[in-house]
Amino acid sequence: MKILKLPKANFNKFLLGLNNYGEVHIPKKKSEETYVFAPMEDPSEVALEYLRTVIPPKKYFFKPKEALFKHSDGKNFIEHIEDVNKKLILFGLHPCDIHGLKILDIVFGTGYIDKYYFARRKNTLIIGLSCMPDEKCFCRSMGTDATEDGFDLFLSELKNSYLVTVGSSQGDDITNDMKDLLTEITRKDTNEYLKIRNERKKRFTLQLDISDLPYILELQRESEVWEDLGKKCLCCGSCSMVCPTCSCFNIYDKLSLDTKQTERVRQWDSCLFKDYAVVAGGHNFRANRADRVRNRYYHKQHGFVTQFGKPSCTGCGRCIQYCPTQIHVVEVFNKVRGED
Amino acid sequence: MNKKPKIGIFGLTSCAGDQLAILNCEDELITIADAFDILDWEMAKTNNDKVTELDIAFVEGVVAQTRDLEALQAIRKRSKLLVAIGTCAVWGGVAAMKNQIPREILKKEVYGEEINVVDAVEALPVRSFVKTDILLPGCPIEKEQFLQIAASLLHGDLPELLNFSVCSECKMRENPCLVVEKGEVCCGALTVSGCNARCPSHNIPCGGCHGPIEEVHYDANYTMFEQRGITKEEIQNKMANFATPAWMGQKLISEIK
Repeated sequence: MKILKLPKANFNKFLLGLNNYGEVHIPKKKSEETYVFAPMEDPSEVALEYLRTVIPPKKYFFKPKEALFKHSDGKNFIEHIEDVNKKLILFGLHPCDIHGLKILDIVFGTGYIDKYYFARRKNTLIIGLSCMPDEKCFCRSMGTDATEDGFDLFLSELKNSYLVTVGSSQGDDITNDMKDLLTEITRKDTNEYLKIRNERKKRFTLQLDISDLPYILELQRESEVWEDLGKKCLCCGSCSMVCPTCSCFNIYDKLSLDTKQTERVRQWDSCLFKDYAVVAGGHNFRANRADRVRNRYYHKQHGFVTQFGKPSCTGCGRCIQYCPTQIHVVEVFNKVRGED
Repeated sequence: MNKKPKIGIFGLTSCAGDQLAILNCEDELITIADAFDILDWEMAKTNNDKVTELDIAFVEGVVAQTRDLEALQAIRKRSKLLVAIGTCAVWGGVAAMKNQIPREILKKEVYGEEINVVDAVEALPVRSFVKTDILLPGCPIEKEQFLQIAASLLHGDLPELLNFSVCSECKMRENPCLVVEKGEVCCGALTVSGCNARCPSHNIPCGGCHGPIEEVHYDANYTMFEQRGITKEEIQNKMANFATPAWMGQKLISEIK
C-alpha cells in the first residue's frame, strides 16, 4: 500500500489534473440539505463538506432508466450500452458508498453477469474521501466506515493536507503523473491522522447491533413491529431509490407508432410498490403494505446475509434522511430486538 | 391489429386540455393520422362519422351534465376499447373538487336564485358510469404516455403504465425533498408518477394533478403533515383537489348538507 500526501494548496490543481483521465464528477450542493454527484465544471464547486448525496453512485452504473437493446421489424437486435466508452472519474466517495458499490458488484456479478453495469464500472475510477459522521451515520456498526479496497485513490483529510492512499495501478499512474503535487508523509502526518481517526470514532452516535440480527429476524417474522410499520410507511419508494444497494428493476418494451422500432427498457423498481410482487394471473405475493415493508428490511439484514455472508446495508443514513414519515431504520431494528 | 384501428376522440365536460395535449404531439400527428383511422374527433376535424363502430374511444372529461352521460353511454356502446384520458375522466378532477357541496347549493351560489337553466349534476369520472379499459390520468395527460398507449394498442398490446408515486421519480431527479427540507404539503407520495416530477423539479410542491396511486395510504399521508403542525383541513384542501370523489368514497371528506 502506497500512501502520499497532497497539500491542500495543491488540491485544485489535483482536481483539474483529473480531467486528463476522463469526465470528473464531484459532490455538489443543490440546496441547503441536498447534495448530488454531478460533472465538475470548476474545482470551486466541489462540496467537500457533504455527507450524503440524494442518489448514491449506483446511478452511474445501474441507471434509473435505460434502453438495453433496440430492434426493428422484430429482428436485427441492436445492443445498446449507454456511456460504454465514457471514461469517468468519480471523486469524493465516502467509505460507505464505496462499500455500496462493492455490494452491487456482488449483486450484478453473481450468476448472471450484468454487462451493462460492468461495462461502465470498469471504465470508472473511484477516488474516495474521508468524512466525519452525523447523527444519521451508522456505518461503523455495519463495518463500512473504512475501506481497504474498492478505490483507485482515497483521500483522508488532515488539517492542511490529504493523505492519498493508492488503491490500484491506475491510481498509481495518476500519482506518478501528478508527482509534483504530492509529497512524502511524515511522522507528524501519521500522528495527525490518528488523532482525527480517534476523534471520528467518538463522533458516531448512532449504532445498530447486527451481531445476531438475522436470527432475531427469523424469530420475529410475525412481530407487531411490521404491522405498525405498515401503518406508517407510504410505500412511496424514496428509501429504495436513495439506497446504495437497492437494485431491483422492471423491464418493459417501449413501442413506437410506426410499429417497427422497439426498445427494451430497464427502470428502477422497488419492492415497496404495490404491483411489485404481482404474478401472471393477478396474484400478489405481498399485497399488504406491512408485508412489503418487512420484505425490504429482511432482504437487507436477513436474506442478503444468508446468501452472501454480510448485510446489504451500508449505514449511509440516506433512508433516514429522506423518509417523509420519519421511519428510522435503526429504531425499527431496536424495536424488533425489544430494545426501544 | 391488421387493419388501421378506427378511433374516436371525445370530450365530455372539461377544458379540452387532454385533446389539446394530443394535438400538441406535433411531430407525431402525421404518424398518428397514418396509423389510425380517426373517424370522430370534433375538436380537430369536420365531417365526423358518428355511427360506425370504433376500435378505440379516447374520452376526456367528467359527467357533469345529463347530456354527458348520454354521450358517454353512446360512445361506450360503439367502442371495443374505452380509454379514459385525463384526471377528470379517471378521478373527477377539478370539476368534482367541490362534490361535498350539493349541486343545488352550488348552482344558487354561482348563478343566483333566478337562473335555473344550468343542467348540472354531481361531477363524476367516466369510470363511475361505464367500463373503462385503460386509465391515463394527468392534468393534462403527458404526451409521452399518450403516445406509448397509442403505440401499444397499435401493436395489439395493452400498455404498461407506471403505478408508483411521484416521490420515486422526484428522487431519481435528485430534487430537494419539499416535505423533508421545507415542511411543505407536497402530494408526491400519494400521486401517481408519469410527469417525471415536473413541479417539484421547479421547487413547487406536487399538487396531485395525476390523481392517486393504486393504493393510497391516506392515514400516513395525514400523519406525515400533522406531525409538522399542519391541520387536517389544510392537508385535505391541498391533497384532495383532483380526486375528491375518491376521498369521499373513503369517507375522508363528508357531504355538507
